[in-house]
Amino acid sequence: MNRVINYLLDVVRGVLFYFSQTKLRTALTLLGITVGVSSIIAIMTVLATFEKSTEQVVADVRTNVFYITRENPIEVSFGNNNKWARNKPKITWSEYEQLKRSLKLTKNMSAVVAEEPSDRTFSVGKKEFKSRLQSFWAADGDMLSLYKYDIVDGRNIQNVDIQNRSRVAIIGSAIKDELFPYANPVGKEIKIDNIPFEIIALTDEKGEIAGQSMDSMVGIPISTYLKYFGGRWNRTDLQLVLESDSIENIENATDEAIGVFRAIRKIPPGQPNNFYIATNDQLMDTFGEFTSYLTTFIGLITGISLLVAGIGIANIMLVSLNERIKEIGIRKALGARRSDIFMQFLIEAILISVLGGLVGIVLGLSFGNIVALFLEQEPVIPYEWVLYSLQICASMGIIFGLYPAIKASKLNPIDSMRFD
Amino acid sequence: MTKSRKEIIGIKSVSKIYNLGNTVVKALDNVSLSIFENDFISIMGPSGSGKSTLMNIIGCLDVPTKGSYKFNDEKISQMKDSQLADIRNQKIGFVFQTFNLLPKLNALQNVEVPLVYSNLNRYKRTEKAKEALKIVGLSNRINHKPNELSGGQRQRVAIARALVNNPSIILADEPTGNLDSKSGSEILNFFDDLHKAGNTLIIVTHEKTVAKRAKRRIEIFDGKITLDE
Repeated sequence: MNRVINYLLDVVRGVLFYFSQTKLRTALTLLGITVGVSSIIAIMTVLATFEKSTEQVVADVRTNVFYITRENPIEVSFGNNNKWARNKPKITWSEYEQLKRSLKLTKNMSAVVAEEPSDRTFSVGKKEFKSRLQSFWAADGDMLSLYKYDIVDGRNIQNVDIQNRSRVAIIGSAIKDELFPYANPVGKEIKIDNIPFEIIALTDEKGEIAGQSMDSMVGIPISTYLKYFGGRWNRTDLQLVLESDSIENIENATDEAIGVFRAIRKIPPGQPNNFYIATNDQLMDTFGEFTSYLTTFIGLITGISLLVAGIGIANIMLVSLNERIKEIGIRKALGARRSDIFMQFLIEAILISVLGGLVGIVLGLSFGNIVALFLEQEPVIPYEWVLYSLQICASMGIIFGLYPAIKASKLNPIDSMRFD
Repeated sequence: MTKSRKEIIGIKSVSKIYNLGNTVVKALDNVSLSIFENDFISIMGPSGSGKSTLMNIIGCLDVPTKGSYKFNDEKISQMKDSQLADIRNQKIGFVFQTFNLLPKLNALQNVEVPLVYSNLNRYKRTEKAKEALKIVGLSNRINHKPNELSGGQRQRVAIARALVNNPSIILADEPTGNLDSKSGSEILNFFDDLHKAGNTLIIVTHEKTVAKRAKRRIEIFDGKITLDE
């Protein structure tokens, strides 16, 4: 064993010496692989960051919650899918009210409209909220506890506000910081598209999730929203947030909701749902599906670029073989076996691609994490992809180094020594 | 006296035949030759006579088409490629007309090349290579690359490389062919010393003056040995 290791070390040392003698060529050959690998790693790093932050978002919401929406909020669809989704009917207020009356297993239910981000103007006196508001929502129920917001000062939206369509608003701390830097906003007036609202609550600072400020938000009663911003009631597409009484019951509750909603919409048996219903876990799964599509796609592209790089390696190996015919002849005359020459060339090819891969991994991780940093995410290292990349590089070295290595090992010492 | 010495090389009725399209070339035609320990032999002949072919066969770089070749009682004519490589590595020291040093390696690294293929560890290799360079008087040039050395010095590096594994024979192909007369005679004097030290030497040449230095002269013409004295 020791002998084998010493032998391999000798070969590696010899190859590294050769690289040091042909630096420019080695660097250029590395480049092809470096580009391929660094792009895989960079994209995988960014993707891993997103995955992590999506998990955060989902974890931030109670787990016995499920949603009914017109279409999958996270789904990335291709081609026809999209058209089909657009044909689905909007979820209306009357559907919501019928559903609310019929469901037994659902403890809480709320209709929500959310503009994320919102392009409306939010102003106090002549001062306008400059940055785009991340979330302008309106709900029929307790959104604050659902999304784990705490009230610093003031009171939550109550049923009476919804019944009266009161012009009351809850604001996030980012709004206070910009529009009421030195005063308590509760009880003051804020204008939304020039319609005056009374601020009834300020929420505690929540920070960012997935690169979005959770504090850049304004919430109002849904009835008020529909009256002032929704046009006619039935034109607004609602999102329904439902809560089963326990996690154990969530499946039964979703089944019940599907059945009742199909009945409300009079969907004949056998027809697919013309609405989307999902739990938090399922939303996570769709994201997983999306990333797996992306992974396949990126895999394909980098596969092609690595193939090109591999052909480059084979090419360079053949060039360097031609340059070293005489050297190989001399080495063989001095006692190198076929296997020695074969190993020399194969290890050269493997080293060149693995070195290229290592440089690519370092570049990819740096680039990916710089992107993550800009999105204000914690840095991640996609370990499995680092490992895959190294494996891919090593096997590329073997595949594309094989032919030149066999060719080199078969050279005849007499003729090769005379070669100039 | 001849009989008391050990036979190193035993060549019996060896032929080497090349098929070049329609013509058949007999580079060696039924050659028999015995070489003994501490022989100092010159092989002479014009170009095309078959002396290079004979040298390649003796040097285990090539195998005969017909006949048998024994090296230290081992049957070379039946050996596999890797076994031939080991014989070349362990038993034969080559000296070439064009030196055949590796241009990117310095003198020490060049002398170490055969030792790399003998699976010697690095420290032993350096030690032995330094010793060999000392024998040829180049201890002060071990870090020089071939293009920083004179022709004579390069050939001495090549001789050090040939000696480094303590071979049974040293095979020199026109060793003075690329040297001026002064360096040439230095190299030949050195061969004399090697012979006196007990080494077995074979020099292939077409120069009479070189051939005369040897103790036994062989002439070859048209693939046959015409003189052996």
